[in-house]
Amino acid sequence: MQEKVVEFTNLLRKSGIRVSVAEGINAFEALDELSIDDRELFKDALRSTMVKRGDEIPAFDQLFDLYWSGFYDSLRDAFGEANAQMAAMDIDIDELMKALAEAIEQMDGDVDLSELAQALLTQDLSALENMIRDAADQAGTGNIENMLQVGFFSRRTTEGMGMEGAGQELEQLIQQLEEGGMSPEDAQALRDMLGAMQEGLRKVVRNFTERELQTQNHDYMEKFRREMLTEKSFYHLTEEEIARMREVVHRLAQRIKNILSIRRKRQKRGKLDIHSTLRRNMAMGGVPFNVIYKHRRKDRPKLVILCDVSSSVANVSRFMLQFMYSLQEAFNRIRCFVFVSDLGEVTPLFKDADVNSAIENALDGGDVINVYTRSNFGLAFHIFWRDYLAAIDKKTTVLILGDARNNYNDDKAWCLREIHNKAKNVVWLNPESPSAWGFGDSVMNRYLPYTDIAEECRNLRQLAKVVDSIVL
Amino acid sequence: MFESVDRVISDLEKQGYVCDKRIATVVFLAQQLGKPVLIEGPAGVGKTELAKVVATALDRELIRLQCYEGLDEAKALYEWEYSKQLLYTQLLKDQVSATMEGAQSLTEAAQRVADEDSVFFSERFVVPRPLMQAITSDNPVLLLIDEVDKSDPEFEAFLLEVLSDFQVTVPELGTIKAKQTPIVMLTSNDAREMSDALKRRCLHLWIDYPSQELEIKILDQKVPEIDKRLAQDLVSLMHSIRELDLKKVPSISETLDWARSLLALNASDLDESMVTDTLNVILKYEGDINKAQKELSKLLQQKAAEAAAAGPQAVEAPAEAPKKKGVLH
Repeated sequence: MQEKVVEFTNLLRKSGIRVSVAEGINAFEALDELSIDDRELFKDALRSTMVKRGDEIPAFDQLFDLYWSGFYDSLRDAFGEANAQMAAMDIDIDELMKALAEAIEQMDGDVDLSELAQALLTQDLSALENMIRDAADQAGTGNIENMLQVGFFSRRTTEGMGMEGAGQELEQLIQQLEEGGMSPEDAQALRDMLGAMQEGLRKVVRNFTERELQTQNHDYMEKFRREMLTEKSFYHLTEEEIARMREVVHRLAQRIKNILSIRRKRQKRGKLDIHSTLRRNMAMGGVPFNVIYKHRRKDRPKLVILCDVSSSVANVSRFMLQFMYSLQEAFNRIRCFVFVSDLGEVTPLFKDADVNSAIENALDGGDVINVYTRSNFGLAFHIFWRDYLAAIDKKTTVLILGDARNNYNDDKAWCLREIHNKAKNVVWLNPESPSAWGFGDSVMNRYLPYTDIAEECRNLRQLAKVVDSIVL
Repeated sequence: MFESVDRVISDLEKQGYVCDKRIATVVFLAQQLGKPVLIEGPAGVGKTELAKVVATALDRELIRLQCYEGLDEAKALYEWEYSKQLLYTQLLKDQVSATMEGAQSLTEAAQRVADEDSVFFSERFVVPRPLMQAITSDNPVLLLIDEVDKSDPEFEAFLLEVLSDFQVTVPELGTIKAKQTPIVMLTSNDAREMSDALKRRCLHLWIDYPSQELEIKILDQKVPEIDKRLAQDLVSLMHSIRELDLKKVPSISETLDWARSLLALNASDLDESMVTDTLNVILKYEGDINKAQKELSKLLQQKAAEAAAAGPQAVEAPAEAPKKKGVLH
């Protein structure tokens, strides 16, 4: 049992759930307090001690079912079926079993039954379960890799259990019983029943092997999926991934909000304000009963976001826009702009509409710009400089999202310089890798001198990294 | 003391808290292992309530620490009572000068004051805050650290000592160990991911929205006047509302509020107009209400159609409803 729990712990770890050694020990302590007969209790004890994240619970449930469940049950079902068959043939099983037990007792010592045969006769399910597990271990079922091996490993497992030998022993036993005076009908019934039970056992072994395969695959799949999502480029996402990504992006924005609020809070705690303290405590004869602290000016970050929504970066923009939307929910001093060659403000749009329609709308230009043109960063920056420069002050961080592919237009880098001079920070997130900056129609190198941070941002991991560097 | 998991369920039910086996198991383990429990889950599913009823069921005093941004040691653990210290020095001026009398040098005077400073940094001048109270209490208590996710990461780190060893360290007084191991429960709305160090020290309990049966049971317990059939309709409707993609998903407290409002309105049936009129009890955002309204009218029509198809028993019910309405008007 202990080994099984440890093995299960390893399985959890393999599929990316972090379980520390201390937590493993806790699980054992918890199991000591509870009876492990109750499956639900057992499961709850393991979960509460080893799984500490809400989003890991589904994975735990799945693994638990794969690993623990069904085994005992399917064994019981298989035997129940055999019993039901007998019952359908109007044979009283209890009666038969009693006769059998008596017969064996009478013969005592004459028959030497193997463990498996005994377990079958007494229908000792937990003994059988243990035998299957041991035999499967011996057969190396844990190393199973694909569907084609299921037959091979189940055969090896049944062989390891000594199924053949047990069958022969049982047959001999029945013959002896017949010789000992059992009626042929009863003997035949017994034979049928034991046959059905062996068949059931084979099926269970096969199921077990299949499940083992699933557990192996589960680790792999789950890990794969998880890695994929943060590493995968925004350019190639499927519908489902986009849906899942949305949640992740939202959480990211939430995290930024939390970090910022904590930082603000910390700055509020100021030093002792001697002037006010003395003044306030005049009434106490200058004895400083009430202490006054200086409150530092709150640093409320302002954010201006410029997002390229041209078709070349459409998929990336989708996330950037969603990120913008989430940020806007978190901050109130944020202004969002989209551009292709024109530039327009979408702040009010983001305020009113819900996330999906806002994003779709913004990708269509949000009624403020025409998206069916070719990107022109120079013109966009110029318009921003002309119309919205007042939005920027020395507390503003300007976040630009785009690939800087300017279609050989005038880059008007001086506009960005002006913006840079006024703003606290200019951060540029580019979905292209730095090695491509400045090649072809990319004018990234022209803009680079006027940015404080310029990063490649092609997947979630990079986005998270950049975000951390911006806010911390 | 709870003797078994089943006992937890029945004892909590006596206090008016219906819970499933999963919750009971963790509560039982917390008591047996003496480990803190971190309770997570969406807002309004009864996380805080659980701590309260466990305290009542075990007849322990509940000490509650509400976390918020900027909560620090001074607010959570202890604080030197500055004004009182000052007041004492003022009042004891004469004694202070008496001790100082005859001091030859400044160093000697300072030494004498230093010898006496333990007077001013003794337990007399400590204001115990919730954590300290929980640890120094003579009777076993239940410490509830509410909404721990709202606190700063520094505070979380500071909690570790309390949670793992049930002791706190005050530099001037030394380490204070708990006289009675308190049961500690922490609740979190998952606004911020708690650190692994904290999680490792706790048992974890995820309370989700309850299953339909459980929610009906809760409703029955909290609002016993409600008609069985209405309760069933209400809960099933609630469950379909939770499926929608809403900004703020309604939880158990909203179900109870809704049931109470329907009772107050003497409603016996959940028809479309009734639902539309009372939807603002459970949904708190304009956008959510609009969205839910659209979906619900579809759902209710579907249900009505099903009810009509179900047979005579279902047909009778709507026939009854107008009569009651007549009485009302």
